[in-house]
Amino acid sequence: MRSSISSFKERLRLPRLFFRKPSREEQIHGGPPLEFERPIPPAPWRGIAVVVTIIVIAATTAWELYCRSLGYGPTLNDNEDLWTLWRRRVAPESIVIIGDSRAWFDVDLDEFQKGLGKRPIQLAMAGSTVLPALADLADDKNFHGTIICSVVPYLFFAPPGTPPMERAEKGIKRFHNQTPAQRVSEYLSMPLEEHVAFLKPDDLSLEAFLNQLPIPNRPGALVPPRFPPYFQTEDRERRARMWEKCAEPGSELAKKIQQIWIPLFTPPPPPSYVPKDVFFAQMNEGIQKRFADVTAAIEKIRSRGGKIVFVRFPNTGGLKDLEDRITPREKTWDPLLKMTGAPGIYYSDFPELSGFICPEWSHLSAGDSVEFSKRLVPHLRAALKM
Amino acid sequence: MLFNSLTFVVFFTIVVTLYWSLHGWELRKNLLVVASYIFYGAWNPPFAALLFSTTCMDFWLGRQMAKAQGPHRKRRWLVASVCMNLSMLGFFKYGNFLLQNFQWSLARIGIVYQPPHLDILLPVGISFYTFHSLSYTLDIYRGVLQPTRSLRDFVLAVSFFPQLVAGPIVRAGDFLPQLRHPPRLKAGQFFWGLALMTLGLFEKTVLADTLLSGSADRVFDYAGPLVALDSWAGVLAFAGQIFFDFAGYSICAIGAALTLGFHLKDNFRFPYAAIGFSDFWRRWHISLSTFLRDYLYIPLGGNQVRPFRAALNLVIVMFLGGLWHGAAWTFVVWGLLHGSYLVIERVFRVLFEAKRWASTLPVRVLAGFATYAAVCVAWVFFRASDFTIASRMLGGMFGQHPHGDAIFTTRELLQIGSVTLALIAMHWAMRDDTFETAIMRLPHWAITVIGAAMACAVIFTQGNSNAFIYFQF
Repeated sequence: MRSSISSFKERLRLPRLFFRKPSREEQIHGGPPLEFERPIPPAPWRGIAVVVTIIVIAATTAWELYCRSLGYGPTLNDNEDLWTLWRRRVAPESIVIIGDSRAWFDVDLDEFQKGLGKRPIQLAMAGSTVLPALADLADDKNFHGTIICSVVPYLFFAPPGTPPMERAEKGIKRFHNQTPAQRVSEYLSMPLEEHVAFLKPDDLSLEAFLNQLPIPNRPGALVPPRFPPYFQTEDRERRARMWEKCAEPGSELAKKIQQIWIPLFTPPPPPSYVPKDVFFAQMNEGIQKRFADVTAAIEKIRSRGGKIVFVRFPNTGGLKDLEDRITPREKTWDPLLKMTGAPGIYYSDFPELSGFICPEWSHLSAGDSVEFSKRLVPHLRAALKM
Repeated sequence: MLFNSLTFVVFFTIVVTLYWSLHGWELRKNLLVVASYIFYGAWNPPFAALLFSTTCMDFWLGRQMAKAQGPHRKRRWLVASVCMNLSMLGFFKYGNFLLQNFQWSLARIGIVYQPPHLDILLPVGISFYTFHSLSYTLDIYRGVLQPTRSLRDFVLAVSFFPQLVAGPIVRAGDFLPQLRHPPRLKAGQFFWGLALMTLGLFEKTVLADTLLSGSADRVFDYAGPLVALDSWAGVLAFAGQIFFDFAGYSICAIGAALTLGFHLKDNFRFPYAAIGFSDFWRRWHISLSTFLRDYLYIPLGGNQVRPFRAALNLVIVMFLGGLWHGAAWTFVVWGLLHGSYLVIERVFRVLFEAKRWASTLPVRVLAGFATYAAVCVAWVFFRASDFTIASRMLGGMFGQHPHGDAIFTTRELLQIGSVTLALIAMHWAMRDDTFETAIMRLPHWAITVIGAAMACAVIFTQGNSNAFIYFQF
């Protein structure tokens, strides 16, 4: 009976060298020509390559047109490499904006530059908790500038290991460990993203489509939270602006996003493997630790002559009700200002900051963000004693 | 630089265009050396200097060994080369691990010792290029390779960018002869190389990263007990992920080398259709298993010794193979598990191989699935970052948590199930085949459609440039 190896060898049509010990001469560098060559399947490869290229170009163009027909336009993706690009530009006396997506959407850099005399650096990160960025600036011994810090309590106090904390840590980690290759990749991808609409990994990738498949779930499944679709553009300065389509009164997109915020801002139930009392004790301990960590970071910055101001940006509708209920001001904002001794601007304390409507309950439209920034500047100057 | 990044696409296009535009062979080789060092330095430029210095040392040691008179002197130079390479690997990869274990051992006898924390950054692919380089001096010592006179050629053999950071482990003796004569640009070879790169990227970005990695991470990161279904699904997801990730990288490397006219051997041959563990290791990470076989197992006596010693040799080799993957006891357990699988298989072979029923189809299929299941059990130790997670996972898999949590969505379960079934079916269908022969059997229109579909899937998936798992080794 023939061995399976020998029939295998014949079928592969691979050279002998692969299956037997080569002679001494064959192995010596400078000996006879190398016998091993990968087999190349006989096929009209040039023609196949041309046809494949045409199909790929046609399919990509069709996909791009389809995505544009859905309302998507080309814009930069916010990722840790773009964040790192701006983190690198923080100078010792910079004005830096940190925090969550409200500071990202609601701040107009031009208005801040006009009012504060210096163009701020936008380092707020959507859906992130602020501590990693604050602690990183505090550890940067050269930094003694000004920090404008957005506070959304549900994100501000997010415990370690949760997505808001991981998102922020990812950015910091990239800043400290970014390789030259990652840096080049960011510079190469920016012009592409500015011209191609379908380059939106969160919305228009295979994974995003799989996540949207309408398959009923078995009981008890831990369904990952649903995030809102793209509803903003971002420029190279990391300035986010809400799409006009979302800002239109009665916009379907805005209504869809409103319904996503509610579950996203609702605290998940305690995990089944941790007793409830233990879980709540841990949460409480975590919040106290967060107060302490933030205070310590601020102390470091202040000791070098730096300043910080906390800002509560507008929220409206059902999300405001939910946030007020689960993270009431007297348990979050007030103790934060008290413990850190930092000044704070709560939008609802000032009539000129209060009348804004967030189309999707959480962020201002592009137009309103300019007006809001203009009105916020005098308060910032006063709080920072500028 | 990752194969699945925009930087690599631009880098590779420039390198390939320049390479085939240049006329002189020496110029082309110089270009490849520069390109390889840019490729490596794009992670951390100072480590390129480390790579260069160890390469130069081995080049020099190889020459000294060849000049040395008598086996004792030769052996001295070999010991110097092995010590140099392994001490470099030991310092960067195992420094903190050794210190932690030293501290733990002292604590057992009541001595409190606080070692300084060594903030050691692991150079990417150090385990791979150390073996590339070490194979040169080992083969000179064995008398199967003469030292090359060209430092540049040896530098290129060690640092050739397609295989530099995650294999296949290409021995100097396999690569250096290819540097003697310039390859000719052949359209078939070039486009087949590109097709292999597309296949590799498809495996990595679509199958490993998009369809499996999230589920594997979810299970191994979950802090609570899981029911058997979810535990097994998580492990199967990881089994698929690591295959597609590593085999995808290897295929990309083989394809990239082919476009430049170089031939690298296969690193995977449908391993999940293996019948038995020795068969598995003839199919999984072939370049490592043959390296360990030729440079460790055979010098230890291989199977030409008494059965007990042969079994011990297997366990020693797999123990070191496990440790090669990472500085953690979980990797050691993974290696030891495979070592013991090989020993048990050897006993079974002695007892049952001659029996007629042992070679019947149902028994072979059953043995194949038993092999796959045992390999999956071993993957738990490979993936888990500590023994707590590993034991929780194993507990779940073997029904210790009937009231544990069921975390996967139905879609995830379907996804893992269908990819795993397709993977195993594909491996069994092609277990005695290669991609090349399978492609030969396909009509040209089918090759075109598959190629276009894979390329489109890679583009539409918009991979997020996740690093390949084996980069950490």
